[in-house]
Amino acid sequence: MTESVRQVVMLAAIAASAAGLWLATSPRAARALRMLGGLVASAGLMAAVFALYQAVGTPRELADEAMFWFFAGLAIISSVFMITTREPVYAALWFALATLGACGLFMLVGAPFLAAATIIVYAGAIIVTFLFVIMLSQQQGRSFYDQRARTPVMSIVASLLLLGAMLWSYQRWDAPERAAGGPALTAEAGSNPLSQAPDDDAFHTMRSLGRSLFGDYLYAIEIAGALLLIAGIGAIAIAPRRAEGTL
Amino acid sequence: MSGDTGAFLAVGAVLFILGGIGFMTRRNLILIFLSAELMLHGVSLTLLTFGRLHRSLEGQSFTIFILTVAACEAALGLSLILSLYQRSKSLDVDIWSQLREPDLPASALQRDEDLPPPEPPSPARTAPRLTKAGGMPEIDDDFPAELARTTDPRKILTPSPADDE
Repeated sequence: MTESVRQVVMLAAIAASAAGLWLATSPRAARALRMLGGLVASAGLMAAVFALYQAVGTPRELADEAMFWFFAGLAIISSVFMITTREPVYAALWFALATLGACGLFMLVGAPFLAAATIIVYAGAIIVTFLFVIMLSQQQGRSFYDQRARTPVMSIVASLLLLGAMLWSYQRWDAPERAAGGPALTAEAGSNPLSQAPDDDAFHTMRSLGRSLFGDYLYAIEIAGALLLIAGIGAIAIAPRRAEGTL
Repeated sequence: MSGDTGAFLAVGAVLFILGGIGFMTRRNLILIFLSAELMLHGVSLTLLTFGRLHRSLEGQSFTIFILTVAACEAALGLSLILSLYQRSKSLDVDIWSQLREPDLPASALQRDEDLPPPEPPSPARTAPRLTKAGGMPEIDDDFPAELARTTDPRKILTPSPADDE
């Protein structure tokens, strides 16, 4: 595909996904029609990603391709249905699926530790806690505020304009990769050990990540730990006292 | 290193945008919160991709800090949502749209269409509401409708017709 065809495809895909999202959040559409809108929106967003992906000339392994499209599709479809479904419990479960898809992508970009940590924190802790709250607070069945989206047209138009702008500027990132080892250095800079290009193998390992965290970011890590402690204390202080058996 | 940076960046942007749409359109407090977390996923993916592009570990380190702050945010947000829920018995965020200092005027942005739909008018009942269960009483057509709708037990129990002899 040539450059201009690619851009037209990308913009058309974004427009199609806008129409799909509008249909999916419509308060009066039937259930099947809303589901169709969600599928159209997912397909449009995938097509926009594909249009950007087309720019890349380097062929890759089939397994890499398949895993990328599987995880990207999982994340995008789950996100679309998470923001359009009318059942809050299903929305939380879709969010868990979107988290799994995003974690697969984390794994593909060479961050396996972060993928595991994100699954543990989000799918393991946050989703379970929130599911408890949703189920305890909605024992009376559906509530009207889940049935109607607020200002759907304006937010969809604004957000997809932003998406178009972002994808448009991302077209430059398909530029050829930097040569291995980085740009040529002057002799003085080359003798500095800090400006040595990092080893490619070290990039993927947890060992180098741990050295970076507890070396470069030691104070920040300590502050983050203190932040967690303070947030835990604050959550206990803010959470309301309640009678037995209520929420 | 494979040259698919643009595709990963695009997926990150799409996740961010979808989270933003959810943040603006959902009205359930918890789902608004989850949409913000979805935006964080998009940002994390973008950071990791740029980190890989530049062969540096800063993207991964930043993502760990995002994870930490998201966990704190979830704990504090959940307790705030619980205390809001205890006051209003509802997760609707629009209940709190008029939250303000007592001496400030109400916002001009309030719109009627966002308010909960009014209760459908209940069909007019002509049967008197009896306090105890029993057989359906015989109702003649000239039974006064006002009297039938009242809940005052004295009037219900004494539907004496006006006989002034």
